[in-house]
Amino acid sequence: MSDTILKLDNITKIYGNGVVANKNVSIDLKKGEIHSIVGENGAGKSTLMKIIFGIENASSGTITYKGKEVHFSNSMEAIHAGIGMVHQHFMLIPSFTVVQSIILGMEPIKHGIFIDMKKALSQTKELAKKYNFDIDVTKKIADLSVGEKQKVEILKTLYRDAEVIILDEPTSVLTPQETVNLFNELRKFKDMGHTIVFISHKLNEVKQISDRITIMRNGESRGTYNNADITIEKMTDLIIDRDLITDYSHLRKDYENVSTVLKVDNLSIERKTRFILKDVSFALKRGEILGVAGVQGNGQAELVRCITGLMEQTHGKILLADNDISKDSIKQRRVKGIAYIPEDRMGDGIAEQASVSDNIISTYYDRKDINSRFFMLNKKIVAEADRLIKKFSIKTQSSKTKIGSLSGGNIQKVVVAREYNTAPSCMIAEQPTHGIDIGSAEFIHTQLIDMRNKGAGILLVSADLSEVMNLSDRIVVFYEGEIVGYFKSVKGVTENELGLYMLGVKRQTPEELGGALND
Amino acid sequence: MNLADFFASVLTTSFVFVIIRVAVPLVCASLSAYTAGISGMNNIAVEGIMLMAALMAVLGSYWTQSAWLGLLIAILTGIVMALMIALFSMRLGANPILVGIALNTFATSFSIFLLYLFTKNKGSSASLASKILPTVDIPIIKDIPFIGDIISGHYVITYLVVLAMIVIYLLIYKTPLGLRIKAAGLDQEAARSVGVNVNRVRIISLIISGLIGALGGAYITMGYMSVFVKNIISGRGWIGIAVAGMAGSSFPILIITTMLFSIFQAVTNIFLLYNLPSELINTIPYVAVLVGIIIFSITETRKRKKGELD
Repeated sequence: MSDTILKLDNITKIYGNGVVANKNVSIDLKKGEIHSIVGENGAGKSTLMKIIFGIENASSGTITYKGKEVHFSNSMEAIHAGIGMVHQHFMLIPSFTVVQSIILGMEPIKHGIFIDMKKALSQTKELAKKYNFDIDVTKKIADLSVGEKQKVEILKTLYRDAEVIILDEPTSVLTPQETVNLFNELRKFKDMGHTIVFISHKLNEVKQISDRITIMRNGESRGTYNNADITIEKMTDLIIDRDLITDYSHLRKDYENVSTVLKVDNLSIERKTRFILKDVSFALKRGEILGVAGVQGNGQAELVRCITGLMEQTHGKILLADNDISKDSIKQRRVKGIAYIPEDRMGDGIAEQASVSDNIISTYYDRKDINSRFFMLNKKIVAEADRLIKKFSIKTQSSKTKIGSLSGGNIQKVVVAREYNTAPSCMIAEQPTHGIDIGSAEFIHTQLIDMRNKGAGILLVSADLSEVMNLSDRIVVFYEGEIVGYFKSVKGVTENELGLYMLGVKRQTPEELGGALND
Repeated sequence: MNLADFFASVLTTSFVFVIIRVAVPLVCASLSAYTAGISGMNNIAVEGIMLMAALMAVLGSYWTQSAWLGLLIAILTGIVMALMIALFSMRLGANPILVGIALNTFATSFSIFLLYLFTKNKGSSASLASKILPTVDIPIIKDIPFIGDIISGHYVITYLVVLAMIVIYLLIYKTPLGLRIKAAGLDQEAARSVGVNVNRVRIISLIISGLIGALGGAYITMGYMSVFVKNIISGRGWIGIAVAGMAGSSFPILIITTMLFSIFQAVTNIFLLYNLPSELINTIPYVAVLVGIIIFSITETRKRKKGELD
């Protein structure tokens, strides 16, 4: 086809550790189209874009750009060829002005050595005018709104004459109004002949803006469709992975009329331009697992940070057994009964260089039986560690082994063992089985159910829908910092239906959502 | 001492002349720390670089019997030392701060070792017939009353340092290289994403840093004094690092703060003429640095906290 500008043919990417990020992906991008690439986190969208942009090399497959096969070995080569990328995390320096940010690396010169500031100003102003960007180029980046910063990133690619512009999750940081503006701009670029690659997991936005849509799942392409030929329901179907459902129901002990252990009351985090969390209310009871479903980055992480004390909310209260803990320190919250399995296992969960035994007591190192007033009681610590290693069948040479040398599944078991060992009344489990082997995942699941059966309330935050469905008693769904769906029971709820809430297509009434707090 | 005497000695042209005299090595130290620091490659070996350069200026001019060749040797010494920071941190993965500490301690002992090797004296190079750089009388200007007394008649390095100040200012604020140096220092990922060769930019910054630091060291043994004595830099390099830390990326603040400390230093010199405990008087510039840094840190932290809430 003559109007194809960039063609990916059978791209496969296998990382050094054997992880297959992309498998035989073939996509053709036409000149002057808006082409969306949708899929869950970890579906391989970002890796694919990094391959196009020269940040990663494909293990096999070819890229044809303007009729010629290309191999970009770094992003500069891609930029010179006319491919631009707007990263999800902006590559901007706060103390630079807009002009400086745009010209950095490609500065106009006068008298042989000096930056021609006049020319730089007029060029960037002209560029902004040509594309109808209402932006003061003399302002500092730090003084811009997020939407304006994104405009600067787009201007950077246009200043470098990009014909193909890749936007990685561009709307994830924008307000609805800014999103509308962005879409208008993108349509204009399209009319001017630019090719836009729009990466997103927000299906209604994709539906709004795209000419064609490629769906990714597990590193593979599930097909490219014309926008008119595919419904949101069909997309959801193709995107969401259906794992084998492991049935844990026989392990569950039934509870009735139990007390609330954790109550989150109208919790909000307000920032200058938007809400990261907005009026989140729910109650977590003893002996239940409350699942928090949602695409990552919709406020779940911030909710967890507020509850555990890593972050402060701007409005609302957090009550642990009817006591307001909003102002308590992290330590106080832990002493009062909160335990936490963090998502960032290596960063927040453990100290990589320390031993298994040190890690397994790190949240209660001051407990009387392992800590005399002046010394750590090392014999008792080792005994305690050995007991937990056995109970949680952690595969390690000894309790003195450096934890960093263990496998991901075993490291996570250490974290779970540690949190379990404090006998918490409220457990916050954030992506507890993310990226670990199935065996360890199942073991951790049964431990969580065991804790639930012993009367703990467990808040299970997970992007893995099957995990949420398998473990939860009740489910809330997050979308853009709000609870948009509440399910009193998992029975009769399909992943499809949850998916529609997660992607912002459907939303319940406030009365229905009230159940999360009052049921 | 009475106050009138004190003001009488402060409000003279010779006092301003003295300020400039003591300012030169401090300006060199600040500029040295500044040029390296804004590229994101902190050079805390300024003290060591100045010390080695001060010694090599003496030895070099003694060997070659030329003040200019001595200056050149001193400058090369400074550049090599600064490049060692680049080599160890970029190629061999060492922490630049640790490399800096190593260079400083190395310079302290090695300078005495070399001194002993060539003079058989561990304290001073007085026995060597080393050269000093000439002073310059600027024609016409030297005859203008008041201004002539202040501006004319300094050592040639003083004028070189003024020139270096202007060049560094233009480089950082007006050239593409300067923009890239700042970008590399502020966010190396962002700089790389638009094709800035961060390592190259940092190496250039370190070369300038070594050069200007060495200039300050040479000034001390080829002008300010005419011999090398052990620990002759006596903390000037550290003051420069502190000043550069306060200035951040702002060149004007860097120069203003350096001049402020120079005034303190000059005042100290005058106080020493009076019958006051010299140990106490000598602490004035350092206490001033300390107070300055504390005030600065507090305002910076406040600013940052305010920024985070947005």
